[in-house]
Amino acid sequence: MSAVIVVHGGAWAIPDELAQASVDGVKSAACQGFSVLKGGGSALDAVEAAVRMMEDNTVFNAGHGATLNNNGDVELDAIIMDGKTLACGAVSSVKNIANPVSLARAVMDKTSHVMLTGSGANQFAESMGVETVPTDALVTEYERKEWEKAHDTVGAVALDCTGNVACATSTGGIRNKKIGRVGDSPVIGSGGYADNFSGAVSCTGHGESILKVTLARLIVSHIEQGKSVSDASQLSLQYMGERVHGAGGSIVVSPSGQWAATFTTERMAWAAAQQDELWYGLEPSQRNKDCIFTVVFKVKIHSNMTPEGQTT
Amino acid sequence: MLPVIVVHGGAGHIPRERSEKSMSGVCYAARAGYSLLQGGASSMDAVVEAVIQMENDPHFNAGRGSVLNVKGDVEMDALVMDGKTLASGAVSAVRNIANPVQLARLVMDKTSHACLTAEGASKFARAVGIPEVSQESLITEYARMRWTKNLAPDANPVESQMGKMGTVGAVAVDREGNIACATSTGGMLNKMEGRVGDTPCIGSGGYADNQTGAVSTTGHGEAIMKVTLARLILFHMEQGQTVEAASDVGLAYMKSRVGGLGGVVTVDPQGGWGARFNS
Repeated sequence: MSAVIVVHGGAWAIPDELAQASVDGVKSAACQGFSVLKGGGSALDAVEAAVRMMEDNTVFNAGHGATLNNNGDVELDAIIMDGKTLACGAVSSVKNIANPVSLARAVMDKTSHVMLTGSGANQFAESMGVETVPTDALVTEYERKEWEKAHDTVGAVALDCTGNVACATSTGGIRNKKIGRVGDSPVIGSGGYADNFSGAVSCTGHGESILKVTLARLIVSHIEQGKSVSDASQLSLQYMGERVHGAGGSIVVSPSGQWAATFTTERMAWAAAQQDELWYGLEPSQRNKDCIFTVVFKVKIHSNMTPEGQTT
Repeated sequence: MLPVIVVHGGAGHIPRERSEKSMSGVCYAARAGYSLLQGGASSMDAVVEAVIQMENDPHFNAGRGSVLNVKGDVEMDALVMDGKTLASGAVSAVRNIANPVQLARLVMDKTSHACLTAEGASKFARAVGIPEVSQESLITEYARMRWTKNLAPDANPVESQMGKMGTVGAVAVDREGNIACATSTGGMLNKMEGRVGDTPCIGSGGYADNQTGAVSTTGHGEAIMKVTLARLILFHMEQGQTVEAASDVGLAYMKSRVGGLGGVVTVDPQGGWGARFNS
């Protein structure tokens, strides 16, 4: 089985000044996840590691770079799903957590529930000994200045060498959102879905539109009907555009190792690692290739230079 | 065949002394929704009205009569969806309101969002003038008795699990052919604080699409979410299955794949309907 990981850093009109940093960010996240897979790690561990790395990267809107709600707080949503058992963990509107994806994983692993929300999710985090961070540390300088711009989500899908698939999605939601707004990211079948029989999907874009068509589950159902991963993604995103006028993006991996990164927004930063090759892109129809070792080497130099581990 | 409304008062092991009251409650709710439809009201108005009646009825696990979480509080989830536009509104882990389904509809009608949760949902309720009610007014003697019983060291969680599935819901098609669904619940007995089940999750607790039909689900929430049961049943209907066959296939898949039991009410655009359960 040829292990593969695909990651995205959100589908939206990424401004030029963030373009390079976004591409660098998804490339290093894909390498991070791929190294987990190469070491024999599970698809679940790989998507969690890749998403954590993007949550820690201020260029993306999850964890440290998350957007402020209209009260000036950071509220985060995340989901993780295991395609083998269909087990799933999610958190919504959780505050002051550096890595919501790992809290979602703890909901899946340590409780009999699928989703925890609001202060209940924070209490659970506390009981698990998850470190909290003050709101100030979560809101970056760029955030404070650029409130009004729309920002988005990060996600990952992976297939490990034993044939298991998994997905993870994490977000700070949309800017200036109403307090307590829950978008598509933590909702199973919308922000993500994973099933060993058909594949794994992580979605990004206009959250309310993604919910209306349950985008992740829709893509999976097309795959179940025999469509390729890229046809299934294109058909579903096209349907979302026609039916509810929403734009977005998705990454998909199938149990046989086929993958796709598709979007109907202006840009989506994405990267995919498979067989020591790293594919990546930002513009529609852009598909570049690097040898994975070169990228890993560069990332190491970067992280030596910036102690925070940012690749900017 | 139009209009039509189908309601459910939850699947699961309903104790005999309560089953009669549940039956009269769902009949009353169905009549309330149906008389609106006959008067020319929309399917959305009808499902919300039917669910409000069951939220107000203390015999159901929704609104007044909701089960209590581990701390002894009521936290409720609700969802509505409009099959014409695919717009939806939901609230999760909301407290101190009598009719969560009504608040879910206001999220759909008055905000650009699809779901509000916890304190944010309460804040929105206050902003749109929904009166706050006390926790006490939502808690019945029966709910408290079961909560206390389940806190005991020799409690049987499996057995208490079986009685918990009193989620309520409705699906309807109006004379114009518009379809809607609504689902409301107090969730799972002795759940963790902040636990969100399937009910407010679009595609799990319900889904409505004028082109295919509508489903409202009840049962083991975590299992329903794993298979996104409402959406799954509608996928089968899109593939040409009847309401009953699609519902049965969806429920059977949930049982075989993740070991979960539940029930659904389903309608199609022609007014064909089904009420199926394997609990």
